[in-house]
Amino acid sequence: MDADERELFATSLQHVTADNTGAALDAALDELGWREALPADPRAAVSLLFELQGAAGTTSSALDILVLAALGLDLDTDVGVVLPPLGRTDPPGSVAGEGVAVGGLAVGGLAGRDRVVVVAGGVEGCLAVVVDTADLELRSVHGLDPRLGIAEVTGANLSATARSDPPPTAWAAAVAAGQRAIGHELVGASRTMLGLAREHALERVQFGRPIASFQAVRHRLAEAHVAIEAADATLTAAWDDGTPFSAAMAKAVAGRSARTVGRHCQQVLAGIGFTTEHDLHLYVRRVIVLDRLLGDARSLTRRLGEDLLARRSLPSILPL
Amino acid sequence: MDLPEYRAAVDRWLDDNAADLTPDHGLAATLDEQMAHLSLVKRRTFDAGWMRWGWPERVGGLGGSTLLRAYLGEALTARDLVEPGIYSMTEVLAPTMIDYAPPELAATMVPRLLRGDETWCQGFSEPGTGSNLASLSCRATRTDDAWRVTGQKVWTSLAQYAQRCVLLTRTGTPESAHKGITALFVDMDTPGITVRPIETMHGALEFCEVFFDDVAVPFDRTLGDEGQGWAVAMDLLPFERSTSLWHRGAYLYRRLERILAAVREGAVTPMELGEVFQQLYAFRARSLATQRRVDAGERLGAETSVDKILLATSEQAVYDLVADGLSDEVVLGDDPVSERWRSEFLYSRAATIYGGSAEIQRNIVARRLLDLGADR
Repeated sequence: MDADERELFATSLQHVTADNTGAALDAALDELGWREALPADPRAAVSLLFELQGAAGTTSSALDILVLAALGLDLDTDVGVVLPPLGRTDPPGSVAGEGVAVGGLAVGGLAGRDRVVVVAGGVEGCLAVVVDTADLELRSVHGLDPRLGIAEVTGANLSATARSDPPPTAWAAAVAAGQRAIGHELVGASRTMLGLAREHALERVQFGRPIASFQAVRHRLAEAHVAIEAADATLTAAWDDGTPFSAAMAKAVAGRSARTVGRHCQQVLAGIGFTTEHDLHLYVRRVIVLDRLLGDARSLTRRLGEDLLARRSLPSILPL
Repeated sequence: MDLPEYRAAVDRWLDDNAADLTPDHGLAATLDEQMAHLSLVKRRTFDAGWMRWGWPERVGGLGGSTLLRAYLGEALTARDLVEPGIYSMTEVLAPTMIDYAPPELAATMVPRLLRGDETWCQGFSEPGTGSNLASLSCRATRTDDAWRVTGQKVWTSLAQYAQRCVLLTRTGTPESAHKGITALFVDMDTPGITVRPIETMHGALEFCEVFFDDVAVPFDRTLGDEGQGWAVAMDLLPFERSTSLWHRGAYLYRRLERILAAVREGAVTPMELGEVFQQLYAFRARSLATQRRVDAGERLGAETSVDKILLATSEQAVYDLVADGLSDEVVLGDDPVSERWRSEFLYSRAATIYGGSAEIQRNIVARRLLDLGADR
């Protein structure tokens, strides 16, 4: 995409992500040609859509689509994918005897999806099978963020209707693709929270002046801005670098940043931000869940520290 | 010369000349030794051409991308050949001269700074003027033949070594605030200048009080126009937060690597280490984007306060890890390696104070980037 095409695409995406969610957003994205844009310019397609989706607080099946694409699976549009349980990044499936077992999550609740891809195996090599949705046990999750439409997925002795052996690095690539996407979604949600808090701080008058004039409030919002910029920079680096390592770094930084932004913005929005009359709570809920999808900041950070301590050296990073 | 070519050539040259460039005393040396060694490294890299890349030809440079400068500083600090704080003064003061000095003055002076023939200092803060820079009162009065400067500066790094000073003076009325400030380029051997070093917590005589008593400064040493000093300062400060910070980040990365090699089993948790690494990584990602913007010719501004906040936070996090993970060295050690850890740990406490405190940086973010309006 050149700059003009990108801008046009961004404007269209902004409209559809603001006005639609779930199946309606999926349909709008199809009409817009997002699926075609994904292989042509994955960076633009993913960063634009997920940041806008995060900013609007809407949902789509785009995460499933890009995870499947990263697995190298060329499937029909009505196929979903099972993601690992919260905080995990290993494949959610396992091979047991003749059948496949699975325990994980589906975003968007697999609505309208007759078939689902289950990836089994380890990072060293994996097996992808297609199973019928009807064979799975689905628990529609209300939970912390009901609007995200999560379903808990379990199944045992599943028989595959199709199977493939993706290359050994495919699962890591799929996780990395998902982490970058969710990273952008976290940044988008963070920007909205900061925008809401900023607006409130400028309008809310106490002691005869807007609370935005008080340094304690200004510094919280400044902290939130710095956190967002840090996450944004690690995402840029992740696209430039393209490795699972940089994607995990970006996801961890974006997850922690979004939680930081949520904390500061909620404090600035004070009473009204604690009510359902204001939108903030939707984003506070959303970022906590997104942080825990495909590896949360805490686990990713601890694992990173363990690796570094085991090796006693640092990887070379982000060359000029 | 492009960056990959430059990088390969510099690395090769540094490998070949390692013996000549490595300080005998290590970097735990006294500041006198560090300054002498810095001059040597700058002279050798200048004479070999490396120091000249990335600077305009009209000030003795060889042209090319600013990324080359960023890489040279990274390579020198990563190999422990220079301490980044004193090395990177060039990155702050030379661009100011290039932008604001009369062209012939810049052409004469900048090569001396690049080659390490001279040290320059930056006379901004005063006893009554810390965070509120626009309130400065060191006065320059226009006489028939020259400016006459009287007043006092403080926290002036390396003033006792400096041949020149980029000095902010009050030329308007005391109430003129940022409108009545003029920047001058002052020879430090001019009669009437007294320098008194101040010992810091980490044991160095790094910064000074500088007293000016009716000091004559020729008019052709004015940087920009009379009354333009605020613009000079505002354009200089982003340089403090771009290439210099890249160098410092590269240095911290190497020091973190040393910590990791030296730390005793169980002294730091994976979580602590992971968080520090992540902070430094996020800073580097941010600074990388800034280096690319400089390279693309973009004018830097208030957004560099984000870089500074991330770096200062990372730097303290790295050395908090030292305090915990190498506590025996920091608390009890009297050998040179321990003394260096201790000195660096103590120095890191200033990271959120110098070059615009953490609070001032957040004020800038709030006012200029978030457009939150005035703070009173």
